[in-house]
Formats: sequence, structure tokens, C-alpha cells
Amino acid sequence: MVRLPYTTALTTLFSYGLLFVFGQLRDFFRKLLGWIRKPKDQLKGYAPICLGLEDFYVRRLYLRIQDCFGRPIASAPDSWFDVVERYSNDNNKTLQRSEKTSRCLNLGSYNYLGFAAADEYCTPRVIQSLKEYSASTCSTRVEGGTTKLHVELEELVARFVGKEAAILFGMGYVTNSALIPCLIGKGGLIISDSLNHNSIVNGARGSGATVRVFQHNTPSHLEEVLREQIAEGQPRTHRPWKKIIVIVEGIYSMEGELCKLPEIIAVCKKYKAYTYLDEAHSIGAVGKSGRGVCELLGVDPADVDIMMGTFTKSFGSCGGYIAASKEIIQYLKYSCPAHLYATSMSPPAVQQVISAIKVILGEDGSSRGAQKLARIRENSNFFRSELHKMGFEVLGDNDSPVMPIMLYNPAKIPAFSRECLRQNVAVVTVAFPATPLLLARARICISASHTREDLIKALEVISKVGDLIGVKYFPAEPPKHLNQGHNKLE
Amino acid sequence: MGKLYVEAKPSVDLNKNTEWFMYPGVWTTYIAILFVSWLLVLSVFGCTPGAAWTVVNLFHFAVTYHFFHWKKGTPFAEDQGIYNALTWWEQMDNGKQLTRNRKFLTAVPVVLYLIASHTTDYQQPMLILNTLAVFVLVVAKFPNMHKVRIFGINAGN
Repeated sequence: MVRLPYTTALTTLFSYGLLFVFGQLRDFFRKLLGWIRKPKDQLKGYAPICLGLEDFYVRRLYLRIQDCFGRPIASAPDSWFDVVERYSNDNNKTLQRSEKTSRCLNLGSYNYLGFAAADEYCTPRVIQSLKEYSASTCSTRVEGGTTKLHVELEELVARFVGKEAAILFGMGYVTNSALIPCLIGKGGLIISDSLNHNSIVNGARGSGATVRVFQHNTPSHLEEVLREQIAEGQPRTHRPWKKIIVIVEGIYSMEGELCKLPEIIAVCKKYKAYTYLDEAHSIGAVGKSGRGVCELLGVDPADVDIMMGTFTKSFGSCGGYIAASKEIIQYLKYSCPAHLYATSMSPPAVQQVISAIKVILGEDGSSRGAQKLARIRENSNFFRSELHKMGFEVLGDNDSPVMPIMLYNPAKIPAFSRECLRQNVAVVTVAFPATPLLLARARICISASHTREDLIKALEVISKVGDLIGVKYFPAEPPKHLNQGHNKLE
Repeated sequence: MGKLYVEAKPSVDLNKNTEWFMYPGVWTTYIAILFVSWLLVLSVFGCTPGAAWTVVNLFHFAVTYHFFHWKKGTPFAEDQGIYNALTWWEQMDNGKQLTRNRKFLTAVPVVLYLIASHTTDYQQPMLILNTLAVFVLVVAKFPNMHKVRIFGINAGN
């Protein structure tokens, strides 16, 4: 639920309308010139590869602010990193890399526990496993790609999360999109949260099951949808559904909100639907010992049927996992194409996750894991409360390390991004299509490796930039604000 | 002046081409654009108010017909072309007919027609053009015209 001033809603709609009109005008002139000039080497009789209107958004809106996205970095994504400077000679249509880099504060990487850069426990072990097992297994899991490390990690993940068994995949996105078709097919029903990640949407679409959406994080609407669908049955034949799976996420990456897990599990149990929890952002980052939303909200892991997570966020590696009962994992091991045909996870990456989990659990003999968890919680709460005090519209619950700052107007997206970069703070701004069209935001990811000075510097820069571009939609102290305004005018 | 705040609830519509219409302020922006364009036409051409309303009405007809009832599909490739056979009007509200948004969008050309014909005193060349515009627009928005392509016009991909 976002609240915005009414005038902001009007100006945002008007700005998008204006951008749309200009884009259409440019397209019209381009078509006209193309018709007049008629290039010589046209493939006659072939259908066009993409319809002209399909990439309208990319050509006319995204390319204008292309320099805010996809910035190359030249060092490990620690709390400070090097961003490569780019320049453009043709108004952002193409970008060229320059030789210079600038050292910026990293507020964009999913580096929740600080494992993204060299770590005193993990890195020597990763280098050792690289020497022993080499960089790639060069095989699928079922042929020659299962090493001792893979088996060890599967058991460790299952123990960490609190389920019976686990299975690993080389890529987090693929874990969702290749797994959901394995679990459910035509004749089944998938009910997913309206703000679920693209990987879940793709997996649901690819499975062939009927997909229904319930209002974001609203268990009452979920119950309504469940009742309606169970009563109606399959479309046209009205036979009962073969199975029903409800898919939710632990922390929604664009909102920073925690899922209302206890209520949703209660509703699913009442109507005998399976639950699938995607903990990509919450595993390792929330909860007293880092075990995710189940620990934070007091839900027994045995109540969630399938728990999915990724290693990219809190563990500083790559890949994903599914943890469930022994029967489901055994079934997946012989039916999931991502397990049978895809190359297995790279051994150094597996070792990185093993070491990271050991640090979190405290099994490396030190208390660094508990310190990191406490630090990320402190950092997130401090940062969020300071941003609230300054008058920004910040989304997300307490304890969540993801905090989006709402920008709304399309012009404020590049303004915020470029101005922050000029002051050596690197933020990630998100626009359409990852968010709804009008709700553009800048998303800040706090890490345990950020020190208090880093956060204070970031707050200063963001406050200055926020004043410049006018995103402080909830001014907290009106009288002082008015006085300052008078001084500025004079 | 106290700021007026509105709430933007994330909508259940998966089609990103039409879900922006559910947000607060859309109707006001639409009406504001029409009013401001009338003022613009008046100031640029220096004509009578009635002629300006006629110009706005006809321009509105051309633009809304093209974007709501002629152009099919969505301006981005993420949805893999599942809406490629549907115009924007048919995609609205997931194909549900007679919703609040649809009723509003049907009422706007009728109100514009009444204003334009009243301010021109129902004189002849303007009247027939305005009537044609409102007739085409309102018929295109009937529930019975959902996915109908007359004589196969605009049926191809």
C-alpha cells in the first residue's frame, strides 16, 4: 500500500502521457523517413523479426535513460566498489566504456551478510576447492557432476532450513521456472501473489496449469479466490482441480515487505492447498539465526510444503535450492530437467555456500555469524527510521534489509540515479516493467558490511538529492520546513 | 494548503498495458488534458469556442480511436504476445464488460459531443462531423462489439 500526494499522481500520469506522445511522434517520423528512403537491401517476403510496436517501450522510454541501468563494475561488490564511467556520443542510444572508474558506496548489491567480498573464513576454503575440484564439473548432476561438496551442501541446506532434504540448481531463476512445471501440470491450479517475481510467473505460465492471482499479501482475498476456484472447478469441464499450489515470497524484493505467512498457511491448510515459499531475499538475512521468514514469524517449517531459496543474496555465491520432504526431493531428482540436463553448480561456488552457512550457524568456531545478523538488523532499522524522519516515502517492514524509496515521476528516476552517482553513491533505480508503471522507485539494499559512517554518508547524500529533486513527499516537521523555505527564497 | 494523499493499491491485473488505468488520478488527468487542449486550440487559432470544441472533439476521436480500437497488442515484449490479437479496449479489465472504467470512457465522448454541438449552436458542417465521431466511438465500445472485426478490417496480425 503506497500513499502519494494527489498532485504527484496527476503529474506522473501526465509525464508518461507526454513521453508516450513524443515516442509515437518519433516512431511516426521514422516510419515516414523509412518509407521515403526505402533501403536497398531489404529481405523481401520475410516476416519482420519483431513487430514495430512490441519494443516501443524499450526504444522510446528505456533507451533515453539507459545510462542509469546496467553500469559495469570493476571490483568485488563489497560495501565500496569501483563503478566504470560510461559516456555516450549519440544521446544514450549507445554507451561507450571509458578507462576511468570511480569508487562508490554500494547500496545496490544483494550483499546482506557481507559475503560478497573476500572473507577470512570462506575465501581460503574456496580457493582450496578451486584447486582440488577445478572451476566446473563439466557434467550434469546425474552423469559426473555430483561431487562430495554437492552432497554435503544439500544435507547442510536441509538442516539449516529445517526440512528433510534439499536439491541444488545452478541458477536461482531456473530453480523457479524449471521446477514449477515439474510439480503441477494441466488440470492443476496455481494461485500466486500479484507481485511475485518474474521467475515464478514464467514457471507458472510454462507449467500449463491455470493461474489465478490474489491481491498482494491479503490472506482474506486469498481465501475468497480459493473458495471461488474450488467451487467452480476446472474451466469448462468443472471437474475438481487435480491439485492447488499457492505461491508466495518471503520478502518481496520490490516492496521490502514480509509475507503474512502465518495467516496464509492457516488459509491453505483449511482448504487443503499446497504452499510454495520463495525465500530468495529472506534466507540468511532475517530471523534470529538467519533461517528466514519462518523463524522470524514463528511458523513451523513443516507447515510449508516446499521452500525455495537462492544463494546469490545472503551467501555471496550463485545458484538456488529447493527444500522439502524426502519423497518430493527424490521425485524431483529424477524428473526435473534442471537437474537432469543442466550442468551442476560450480564447486568453488558450492564451497562458498558451505562456508557461509557454517559462519552463520557459528560452526566455524567464532561468533561472526551472529554479529553479522545483529549488524544487518541494526543497520536496516537505523537506515529506515532515518529515511522516515527525513520525509521520504519508504516501503517495507522493520527488520527487512530491502528499502525502496518511492520516486513516481519518470524524470526523477534518472535524476536520482545520476545525481547520487555524481556524489559517489551507487543506487539501483527500478522502473517499469519490474514495478507497476506509475510506481517507480529507488531500491536500497543494506548490508552487514556497511559501517555506521557509510550509512551516515549515504543518508546525507540521499537527503541532499531528495531535496534537489523533490521526493520528500511526507515532510515531517511543517513549521521548520516553512522557515527554511523562506530563507532559501531570500 | 494541506496535501491531499491518495492510496495506490497494487492491482490484480497482470496485463501491464492496462493496469495503469486503475490508479487514482487517471480520470482527472484525462479530463484535465481535454480542457487544457481546448484552451490551447483557442489560443493558437483564435477561433470561436464552439469551433475549438469541435476541433478537440475530432482530434479526440482520431487519437482515441487509433489507440483504443485500432492498435493491437502491448508496447513491450515481456508478455510474449498473448494480447497480440486484442485492442486496448478489449484488454481493459481483463475483458470484463460494463466496469466503472469502461462506463467512464464511454461517457466522455458523449459529453464532449454535447458540449461541442451546444457551443456551435447545432450548425451544419460541424454537427455532422461531431455526430459521426460520437457514433463511431460509442458503437466501438458496446459490449456486443467485443472482439468483433467488421468485414475483417484490422483482423490481421
